[in-house]
Amino acid sequence: MPFFRKKPSFEGGGLVLFMDVHDAMAAEKVLKAADYAVKLVAPPPELRRGCDLALEINLVEQPGIERLLKEKETGYVSVLPMKPGTSGLLEIVKITDFGDWIMVKAANMKLSFEKKSGIIVNTSGGGCPDIPYLHAEMIGKRLDEAPRPRDLGFTLCALMLDRALEECLALWGGSKL
Amino acid sequence: MMLIVGTVPIKDLPLTIGKASAEGDYLVVNGHRIPCTQGTAAMITAALVTTEYLKLESPQVLVVGDTGQGKGSREMYEYLIQNVAKLSPQVLALHYCLPDMALTRRLCEAVKGCAKRPTMIADAASMYAAKAAGLATSFDIFTPDATEMAFLADPDATHPAYIARHLFDTYVTQTPKLVAAAYQKKNAAKLLLVKGATDYVVRNGEILATISEPNVPALEPIGGTGDTITGLLSAFVYASMEPHEAAIVAARANRMAGKLANATPATKVRQIINQFPDVFKQYLCQWSEVCYIDGGEK
Repeated sequence: MPFFRKKPSFEGGGLVLFMDVHDAMAAEKVLKAADYAVKLVAPPPELRRGCDLALEINLVEQPGIERLLKEKETGYVSVLPMKPGTSGLLEIVKITDFGDWIMVKAANMKLSFEKKSGIIVNTSGGGCPDIPYLHAEMIGKRLDEAPRPRDLGFTLCALMLDRALEECLALWGGSKL
Repeated sequence: MMLIVGTVPIKDLPLTIGKASAEGDYLVVNGHRIPCTQGTAAMITAALVTTEYLKLESPQVLVVGDTGQGKGSREMYEYLIQNVAKLSPQVLALHYCLPDMALTRRLCEAVKGCAKRPTMIADAASMYAAKAAGLATSFDIFTPDATEMAFLADPDATHPAYIARHLFDTYVTQTPKLVAAAYQKKNAAKLLLVKGATDYVVRNGEILATISEPNVPALEPIGGTGDTITGLLSAFVYASMEPHEAAIVAARANRMAGKLANATPATKVRQIINQFPDVFKQYLCQWSEVCYIDGGEK
């Protein structure tokens, strides 16, 4: 009896769209070489922007994937959630004043710093594996000297933490406190 | 056995399974020292402090190093899928990881092979994956914070970064509405502990309790204070409390620990965890049927 190895299933939830097939195939090669799980698929008509070949990705890995494609100079049009009804990435932030400290929240991520010194005292929220790593890397550093989550992180949680950091930098640097 | 599963931010930590113990500010698993900071480590430490106080078996933990690239997360889930039936934990608590819908689906299938179905608890990205894969109802307990509650209520979002703006704008005052929406779309576990300015304990769509005292707003900025609630809750469920009772006691204990620690936004989660034994000693008997008697009896 022939033995068939079951192909690992993949449900990514995100799509990378390309202008032409060549870019799609090049991106597949680049991402697979970096151990990302990806799958060439036909985008649904309502999401199609360029060619009729797209890459399905784990949407949570969007920031790391976009960074790698840019580093490797692999062209792509955009990254979108596969579900057509999904909203765009959250752009808004919320600010809470704790007296000596400010907390900025972007989606599920929060970053807090001391007003006087600009030192990051805490990050909280999120659930992806780069978040505890970024927590350890950022705490105790001044806002303008801390590493950027968009450079060190790989996930949407990290991207949201970067949004929060951007707002903190604007608040602190702009003397809006 | 209670099994806690999650990633930790140590790049080269191999997949490790073993009993958790504490050594100063570190967790120790099979000789590997893990700092007690935000994430799975804070959750495990909170659960460990609780089981030690209650004189229960220490949590068994499955951890792996992963700083965001997902390799460790995938190894961890594959191991769990292959071994969960053999391990057959009473409580299975899933925490930080790179969310993967297909692996979560396979895990839910594998759990069916357990001699007795474990109480399934998910927080952090394990909860994101369960919701995104349409598997929320396979879980007994989710512990979202207020933004994550908006994520559960949004039928289309596969991560909180993609929730609809109107849900993010209104969630603080709209938790009951969000809870109803999440249950209607089958995007909630049987029990929810929604962590926020007011904590909500919800069972099958019905709000059973709200907890808002003591009010310690500074807990929100402290990284890991949501993780400690999930650790407390998991340990209380393991101690045979009813899930809703465990959720109420966990929420109260976390708040009280924040108060005793005089928490500010600069407080570290370890300082909150250090208060738990005193909180238990003073309040656990009052809040539950679990009482402490000097001399170590309960």
